[in-house]
This record gives sequence, C-alpha cells and structure tokens, in this order.
Amino acid sequence: MNELGRILIVEDDPKDVELTLTALEEYNLANEVVVTRDGEEALDYLYCRGNFKMRTSDNPAVLLLDLKLPKVDGLEVLQQIKSDEKMKMIPVVVLTSSREERDMVASYKLGVNAYVVKPVDFHEFVNAIKELGVFWAVINEPPPGSVRKNN
Amino acid sequence: MRVSNAGKGMWKPEIPSRGVTSVILRYGFAVLSVSIALGTALLLSRYNFPDVADPLFLFAIATSVWYAGRGPAILALVLGSLANSYYFIEPIYSIAITHSDIPHFVVFILFALLITGFAAIRRRVEQGLREARDKLEIEAAERTQQASLLNLTHDAIFVRDMGFVITYWNLGSQELYGWTAEDAIGKQSHQLLQTVYPMPLDDIRAELLRTGRWEGEVNRIKADGTHVVVASRWSLRRDERQRPVAILETNNDITERKRTEEAIRKLNEDLEKRTAELASINKELEAFAYSISHDLRAPLRHMAGYAELLQKNASSILDEKSRRYMTMILESAKRMGDLIDDLLAFSRIGRAETQKTVVSLEQLVKEALSEVQQETDGRKIDWRIGALPNLYGDRSMLRLALVNLVANAVKFTRKRVQAEIEVGCTDGKEGETVVFIRDNGVGFDMKYVNKLFGVFQRLHRTEEFEGTGIGLATVQRIINRHGGRIWAEGLVDKGATFYFSVPKS
Repeated sequence: MNELGRILIVEDDPKDVELTLTALEEYNLANEVVVTRDGEEALDYLYCRGNFKMRTSDNPAVLLLDLKLPKVDGLEVLQQIKSDEKMKMIPVVVLTSSREERDMVASYKLGVNAYVVKPVDFHEFVNAIKELGVFWAVINEPPPGSVRKNN
Repeated sequence: MRVSNAGKGMWKPEIPSRGVTSVILRYGFAVLSVSIALGTALLLSRYNFPDVADPLFLFAIATSVWYAGRGPAILALVLGSLANSYYFIEPIYSIAITHSDIPHFVVFILFALLITGFAAIRRRVEQGLREARDKLEIEAAERTQQASLLNLTHDAIFVRDMGFVITYWNLGSQELYGWTAEDAIGKQSHQLLQTVYPMPLDDIRAELLRTGRWEGEVNRIKADGTHVVVASRWSLRRDERQRPVAILETNNDITERKRTEEAIRKLNEDLEKRTAELASINKELEAFAYSISHDLRAPLRHMAGYAELLQKNASSILDEKSRRYMTMILESAKRMGDLIDDLLAFSRIGRAETQKTVVSLEQLVKEALSEVQQETDGRKIDWRIGALPNLYGDRSMLRLALVNLVANAVKFTRKRVQAEIEVGCTDGKEGETVVFIRDNGVGFDMKYVNKLFGVFQRLHRTEEFEGTGIGLATVQRIINRHGGRIWAEGLVDKGATFYFSVPKS
C-alpha cells in the first residue's frame, strides 16, 4: 500500500469517533483521517472556510457521513456536496445507526455512493470500517483532485 | 280536465235517428209520409173537406224532417209539391200550375222549406246537447276514477287553494298525517300540520308562481303530535285564463331516511376524527421507531465496542470469571441489538404500504433457502419442495415471511440427525392459496398454539433455541396485511406444520 486517500469523518458522537478511529488504527488506515463533528464543520472543511481557511484545497478520497448531526444534518451535507460541480465527485459513504428505509431511499436519491448501517457487534463494526477504509482509501481510484499520501 | 284518449275511444258520437236508421228506411219513411198525406187529402176532398192538402203535405214534410232527417225531408218536399200540384192545384191531374196559383204554390214551398230548416236546426241543437251531456258524464266518471286512483297511492297527495285551504285530501295523506279528509278539508294546511319550511314562504310562493313547481323538505307535526320530515313537491294549477287557482302537493315520509342520513353523517364524522387520531398516532409511532432506530442502537454499540476493547486490553489480567462476565455483557448487547432490529422490522410491516404484484413462490423459497444456508451447511436436511404456484402480494414482505418460516424449520430440526423439511401447497377455501412448511423438528404442544404468534412469545428456552420471539409475530402481521390467515399444527417431538393462506387476487 503506497498511497492512502484522506478520509473525512463526519460524526457527532465522540464514542463513535473513538471506536471508528480505533478500528481504522487497527488496520493502519488512520493516519490520514480528518474528523469533523457536525454538518457545518464538514462543509467548512470541504469549502476551506472558517477553521479550515488555511488548508490546501484538495478533496478527501472519501467522506464517511453520519446522518443525525447537529446544525446541518447528514442529508443536507450530502445534498450540498452532490449539487456542487466541484464536490460531487467525492465518494460519500453514509455510515449510520439507522436502518430506516426512508433514510436509505433519501440518501440514494441524493446520489450517495454507499450506505452502511453500523453493526452493534464490535467485530462486525471493525470489519465494516476496515473494509470501507481499505476500499475507499486504498483500492478505489479517487477522482482527480483528491489527496493521496505516500504511506 | 282533459278527457283522456281511452275515454274518447269509449265514447262513440252516434247520430240519433229515432228508429229510422238505414238510408232506405229513412227515404221510404219520407215517401210513406207523403203517400199517407196524399191519401188522406184525396179521401178528405172526396168528403168535401177542401184545402186540407197543404197542411197535410206540410205535416208529412215536417214528420220526415223530424224523424228521418234533411235528405228525406227534401224528397218529401219534392214529392209533396208534385202531388199537391198534380192532384189539388188547378189544372188538376197535371203538374203544370196556372198563373194565379203560383203565389200559393211558392208560399207552400217556402213554408215547407222553413219547417225543414227549423227542424234541422232543432235536431242539430238537440244533438249538440246530447253530446255535451255524454261528455260531461264521461268526464265525471273519469274524475271519480282518478280520485279513487289518487286514494290508492301510498304517497300523500292533497290540494290547496291559493289561500292554503285544503280542498282535497287523499288516503295517503290520512295515513301519513293521521287526519281524515273530513278533518283536513277546509283547514289551512300550515295550521293543521304546523309546517316548518326550509325557506321563507314568500320565496317558495315566488318560485311556485315563476316556475309552476317547488320541491323541498319540510317538517310537520302529525295528528298524534309526532314530528315528521317529508319530501314535498308542489305543482301549481292554473285555470284557462292562466290565473293560479290551486296547489297540488305530494309528500313522501323521509323521517327514517333523514335519521339514517344523520346517523351516517355522524358515523363519518367520528370515523374522520378517528382516522385523524390514528394518523397522528401512526406519525408518533413512526417518529418513535425512527428515534429508536437512530438513538437506541448507538449506546448499545458503544457498550459492545468498549467491552470488546476492554476484553482485548485486559484479558491478561482478568480471571476466568471476569472474562465470562465480559462475554455475557457482549452477548447481551448483541441480543438487544437483534431485538431492536426485529422489533423495528415488525413495526415497519405494520406501517409500510403493501405493493402487490404477482410473485413466484418458487423463487421466494429459493431465496429463503439461500438466506439460511449458513445454518444448513454441514447438516443433513431432506428438502421436499413441491410444485409451487404464483402468489399475489408484496414481494419483500412475503419473502420475509418465508425466510422466517424456513429459518424456524431449520432451527427447530437442529437436533435431528436427518431433518425433513417440506414446503408445499394445498387446497384452501375458494379464491385463496394455502402454503405450508412442515418439519420433523421438536414441534410444540397444541395447548400453547395461541401463544405461537404473539410478540415476544417463546415456547423454548433461550439456551435451547435462540431467538427474539418476534419472527412468527412478523409472519402473522405480513399474512394479515395480505388479508390471509395463518395457523399451525404440532406435536411435542413430532414436528410442526405452519400454514398460511393468501387471497388469489
């Protein structure tokens, strides 16, 4: 594995953040992870504004997006990204607790690239995160303009 | 009143001919009259009664016109004139007349014509009178008949003059309002019946005068004091000079109908209210389920996650007992996760719309088998799948039902060395398909058959057979939503058979 795409995690629950990072660490996928804690912060990151004014303007290789978020919720973030010419190529994976069909349908209608329900079982959770990380940050060729880092 | 066609047909205007009917008889009568007059005149002149010929011939002509009509009278006039001229006017025995007798003869003819004319006029007048009388008789008979017909109808019919005084009251009115014709005729209708009109009476009157009709529902009070609602139809009658003279009113008792309508309206109102309540409850339930789906699983995941991490990091310093505790915590978390998932699926089936199509049962069973493959691997199961028809229903729901039933059969035959599971189709009631899943597993006691389909109801201990107790409740809900039935037969240690029926269309 020479290159590792940057993973942007949008997750408000600190415990979920910790568990996700732990899972990624376990497979050495955690070195290019950015965590934002609500929809607004995620958009700030993507549009290089607010706290992220100074960052380089390249896009993450993948966005792991929770749906229930403070301020701007996950579906709104998804809608903004997918309706923006510059952003819509970023692969977005919805990673949520909810198995509700309407969330799933709404996400796919907005053009989500994958929809993953977080398993309760930790092993399964770790596996899911691992597979997501490996697929999107390593195997998948991201669209032009994404950050890749030599490992 | 118009004379009906049937009445006209019954009435034949016959010419009254006083016994002399045929043409021959009538003209013969004229000839005979003149002959008798001639004979009498000749006889009388023989006995020296001169100058009786004229009155006798006039008498014969008059008799002819009277009894035989105008034609015979003219014949009598011609014959009489000729006979008079021949026998009695100089020169006698010749139809020629002398110059001096011309005035006499002319006066005779004129007088004869006059008599004929008078008689003809009289006859015409008489005939006219007779016709008029017959017409009146027929009309009177018809009116009597119509009045009795009006009495036959169940509808209340009555007539009022323009001052609302009742002039006619049929039997139907008596039956409806309890007042007899004697009670009613001559009374003011709205005083007798205490009518409450749906609009001002002046407006009704205006409409009646303008269009000749009015229709509406009026409230009245019967003779016994009870209220009655009637559908009332008014027709205005005008005389020949178009002056309004009477109002014909027909009534139907719609009290019962109104009561039913009111009851239906109230029921509908209640129903609407209930529907709105249900919709709001359903919405709450949906929000509740959504919240459970999102919020309840997260802490559970964290518990499991951190317990797992703890187990990993601290297992070296934990003793056997503590490690078992950790395992229990993890198992419980997982079980609660399964429960939540099953409950949400169960509640979703109650809320989701069914989208019915033709579904291949064979395909569904195939999919169910591949779904349970993990459990069947390494086991000896004799699958007996019969010929399976197409079902009409919601594909994903029916699939879930079959997966549940097949998974159950696989689960409860686990202890059999050679498991047998049969899926087939059997005859049900007309218009429904019955599907069954039979196994040779542990079965159940028919005593508890009612508990089989309840939520969280389990007939086996968890350590024996795992499960949340929601599967069969889900299946039942799916079948119920399809308008079908579900039932089961079983014997302890002798296997179980689950049946469900689905309407064919």
